[in-house]
Amino acid sequence: MTSSRIVGLIARREIRTRLKDKGFIASSIFIIVLIMGSVVFQVLIQSGASNVSVGVVGGPQKLSSAITEQAAVFGLDASVTEYDDEADARQAVESEEIDAAVIDGESVVVNESLDDSLGAAIFGAVNGLVLAERLADAGVEPDILAPVSLDVSALQPAADEADEKGLVAFISILLLYTLLIFFGQFIAQGVVEEKASRVIEVLLAAVKPWQLLAGKIIGLGVLAFAQLVIIFAAGLGGASAFDVITVPGAAIATVVQVLGWFILGFTLVAALFAVCGALVSRQEDLQSVLLPMTLILVAALVLAITAGQNPTGTLAKVTSFIPVLSTMVMPVRVSTGSVAWWEIALSVVAMLVAIAATVRVGGRVYSGALLGKGGRVKMKDALATERVS
Amino acid sequence: MLEFDGLRKSYGTNLVLDDVSFAVAPGQMYGFCGANGAGKTTTMRIALGLARADAGQVRWAGRTVDLEVRRRIGYMPEERGLYPKMPAAEQLEYFARLHGMNAAAAKKSAAELLDGMGLGERSKDALEKLSLGNQQRVQLAAALVSNPDVLILDEPFSGLDPTGVDALAGNLAERRSRGVPVLFSSHQLDLVERLCDAVGILAGGKMVASGTVDQLREREADRQLRVVIPGCDGGWARELDFAHVASDRDGEVLLQLDDPSRDQDVLSAAMAAGSVAQFGWRQPTLVEIFREAVAA
Ligand SMILES: Nc1ncnc2c1ncn2[C@@H]1O[C@H](COP(=O)(O)OP(=O)(O)OP(=O)(O)O)[C@@H](O)[C@H]1O
Ligand SMILES: [Mg+2]
Repeated sequence: MTSSRIVGLIARREIRTRLKDKGFIASSIFIIVLIMGSVVFQVLIQSGASNVSVGVVGGPQKLSSAITEQAAVFGLDASVTEYDDEADARQAVESEEIDAAVIDGESVVVNESLDDSLGAAIFGAVNGLVLAERLADAGVEPDILAPVSLDVSALQPAADEADEKGLVAFISILLLYTLLIFFGQFIAQGVVEEKASRVIEVLLAAVKPWQLLAGKIIGLGVLAFAQLVIIFAAGLGGASAFDVITVPGAAIATVVQVLGWFILGFTLVAALFAVCGALVSRQEDLQSVLLPMTLILVAALVLAITAGQNPTGTLAKVTSFIPVLSTMVMPVRVSTGSVAWWEIALSVVAMLVAIAATVRVGGRVYSGALLGKGGRVKMKDALATERVS
Repeated sequence: MLEFDGLRKSYGTNLVLDDVSFAVAPGQMYGFCGANGAGKTTTMRIALGLARADAGQVRWAGRTVDLEVRRRIGYMPEERGLYPKMPAAEQLEYFARLHGMNAAAAKKSAAELLDGMGLGERSKDALEKLSLGNQQRVQLAAALVSNPDVLILDEPFSGLDPTGVDALAGNLAERRSRGVPVLFSSHQLDLVERLCDAVGILAGGKMVASGTVDQLREREADRQLRVVIPGCDGGWARELDFAHVASDRDGEVLLQLDDPSRDQDVLSAAMAAGSVAQFGWRQPTLVEIFREAVAA
């Protein structure tokens, strides 16, 4: 019988068992809801800040269009309504239909306080128009006021697109972290279950340890990947519906990239968690052996967030080549700045080498430790023990 | 032929197996006996690749047992273990498929076995919901489900009720008749005596006795002659100078002869003493053979 058939059988069992496990389904739904929640939260923050509505009563001609233009300078999307009557405008402010009403180009009515950016936009608009009027009165051609176009060249481009990429990357990293911890736990628990129930003895009489390890990783990997795709699809759909990001292009590229890193990272982390799980024989002892692994993942998350703020720093550069850490740091670096192709290649190679080494050493530890009886097995002993083929 | 050839194994300084050799022929039911800690489980685990022998090897049909051969072995470990939350039938199908069966054959075989064990109605229940004895039956089914060419069962009868014992014995006999060699360990020597074609006794890291039960009986040094003369005291026997009285109770006398060929002289003496109801060489039970072999 071929190895791939055996690995396939093992993977299939893992998938079927998990899909029937209420605990697994509940936790999966919880994660999806959690991630959706954080996307919606981002949506609320962003949409609250960028859309403003202003009422105008009297004042200079063109005031409405001037306010819209100025608001755009401050990154606000202003919709301006003209009112004939001051009382109507005040009424609209009170009922929160509009954020501010400009009366005769002289006073501003707001409900509680005037947003700084909006205030500056209104001030700029009124000022510009009044100034133009006065200059015209003084006989100066209004052309003099024609805006000078400033050519901006950014040293570190932080344009909209980069922002979007950054946002998607950040959410993706959070998602990666959550899923790695979550599935890592499930893998380790599954390994301990096989050891605690001693079914391992029946299994290893017929299959090789690495086949068992690979089957588990692939089975749970498929579930994790499916979950990730569901979350991304729903998340991107939701986010684009709310105009937080314009989906195509940047966001999709980031998502594809993250999915790729996820496959590599999941394989390595899952193998490491499985080996840790093999070292104990009771679920109660599991958390203590998993602690170091969990801490490494927390460190990776922190480093990834740091890298988001300073993608060109030495720390970000170095950690984007270290397996496990690179899973989360590299996608951030790629999405926020330009990374040379060879850097990505090097990072991927380092990851593949780590995976190969872990599966090799892991298979041995796995069989030595799995067949050991009782208590906690030391890594050294697990490597030294037993097992043929 | 399932051959165990010169197995040697020690755990640290504890020499568990010291050159253990024996063979189980196709269609033979081999009872593997030995005191607690004698090394029966260790021997079986070596055959399944779950422990490494320091020296020696296990062969099936002349071929060193590797993973490919092991897939054709049905194994029941001493420490029972299956997936607690997985339904019995699903579990059996899974193991059958890992041993190389296709989906349809696995399903059929699992259903037949569970029905045969009276567990047909519970086949969809999670294993942990079954009673311990029934879990044990499922464990046996897991060893049998792939229609293996060889059976290695570590204490398969412990924990079964008498009907369970009969059902398993029947199942094993049926497989034996199809030429499957069956090696099983047991402490229930009466069962071994009843079921097995051959018996091996492990003690002090060596096979101290191996062969058919009859062969072992013949080897027995202290065979006893049993004479029953109802209502007669054993005084007549104590007067014989070539025999030694081992026991004398309610007219039943057990004698050991210096020279076994003089049994007819004993009969003459007995007939002179009274009316002989029973006379014959007593068959030692396997328990007695075991005690002697292990004590030696
Ligand atoms: N993994 C192990 N590590 C160390 N010693 C072991 C190990 N497995 C078995 N032993 C030792 O090997 C010896 C033989 O054990 P084994 O389990 O083979 O005996 P057994 O004949 O099956 O006994 P029982 O009738 O009690 O099942 C025992 O002394 C035991 O302590
Ligand atoms: Mg044993």
